[in-house]
Amino acid sequence: MAERINLDVAASLSSLSTIRRVLGGLAARLGFSLDDIDDLYLSTEEVIRCALGHESPERLRLEMLVSDDGLRIEMGGFSSSELRAELRCDAAAADVVDLACLLRNTVDEVCVQEQAGGAFTVALVRGHRSLP
Amino acid sequence: MTPADDQQLPDAESGRDEAHAQEELDDELAPEAPVEPAVVAAPAARDSFEKIDQHLLRRYHLHGDLKAREELITMYMPLVRSLARRYASRGEHFDDLVQVGAIGLIKAIDRFDLSRGVELTTYATPNIVGEIKRYFRDKGWSVRVPRGLQELNIRVNKMIDELTPKLQRSPTIEEIAAASNATPEEVLEALESSQAYNSVSLQASPTSDPGDDESALVDYLGGDENAYDTMEDRTMLAPGFAKLSARERYILHLRFFEGLTQSQIAVRVGISQMHVSRLIRRALEQLREEIGELDAPASPPARSIQNQR
Repeated sequence: MAERINLDVAASLSSLSTIRRVLGGLAARLGFSLDDIDDLYLSTEEVIRCALGHESPERLRLEMLVSDDGLRIEMGGFSSSELRAELRCDAAAADVVDLACLLRNTVDEVCVQEQAGGAFTVALVRGHRSLP
Repeated sequence: MTPADDQQLPDAESGRDEAHAQEELDDELAPEAPVEPAVVAAPAARDSFEKIDQHLLRRYHLHGDLKAREELITMYMPLVRSLARRYASRGEHFDDLVQVGAIGLIKAIDRFDLSRGVELTTYATPNIVGEIKRYFRDKGWSVRVPRGLQELNIRVNKMIDELTPKLQRSPTIEEIAAASNATPEEVLEALESSQAYNSVSLQASPTSDPGDDESALVDYLGGDENAYDTMEDRTMLAPGFAKLSARERYILHLRFFEGLTQSQIAVRVGISQMHVSRLIRRALEQLREEIGELDAPASPPARSIQNQR
């Protein structure tokens, strides 16, 4: 059965600890490995760090959807064109780690959803993997 | 593991520690060598090393030859430095950690029992690491973490190191909790507490050279970020990459270009998963700082704004 958890925290790096705690708890409940959890931390943190580097929202709103299939983390209310560009950047040919490259390697799916007024949300999806 | 613990280690752990210590020694003997998957020492060289060990240990323990003891300490200092280096990113001076590790080594040499048939490397490694971890437990946390949580953090990290090779994969929180005799929530809390190993004053200078810049980190808070486009980011990242160590570049390459998990990288490079995690974060942080340095104008933007107000 799917479960939806909403998190509304101050838009600052000090909120990352709170986000990690919630995220870690949900991922642990799904039986994710420590590596998978660390990947989730890293990808979520990098999107937020990048967003805060380009814009100054007052609040960070995250929605976490837990299901048998895995975990979906949706971060909303962004509007920075720089963040949008970084998320869509194809770094396959470049020998550098940029945000898009990092996300490709840490989550299964990255969705950018347009909203009214030029805002957009970023959703990271990490599927459940059966352990060997 | 404390120095007081018995020498008779569980088989899996002894084997792992021995192999690990050997890799550390290999690292130390060839510090400038390019980072490659774990190097295996030639059996002949290894046998010879062990024979010298046994000979010196006999001289010390059976005949009280203090010179042999001194030779053993000197011989194993590279191992101490290697192990200390693993913990150097936690805010304590590397030299202090070497000193603490050396105490662990001396205790291991003094308490070594020749009749056990265990190699000194096997016995000394957990003793050295134990001494360093105890030092952190007592003094290392600059943000005061409750003692129980500090101890759980050490136990959890030990369990992760044990479970990863045993399970041949990264363990789940449930598995770590069961092995650590704690709840999953406590394990997550303990892992989170490791973020508090070191802290930086807001009044600290953002550069390592105190005479270089009179600004403080607090001056940079709340400043407007200059926008830059993605192509510029890439151009800026290239020199940042050049400043990373060969090992950091190699680990980033394995993680983000070859798609290896942290556990797989840990096995390939011969370090723990937690260390891989820390190295990835530190390398990314360094890249981020590099972009900041290249992107920053002559004076800090936030400070300029503050001055204008």
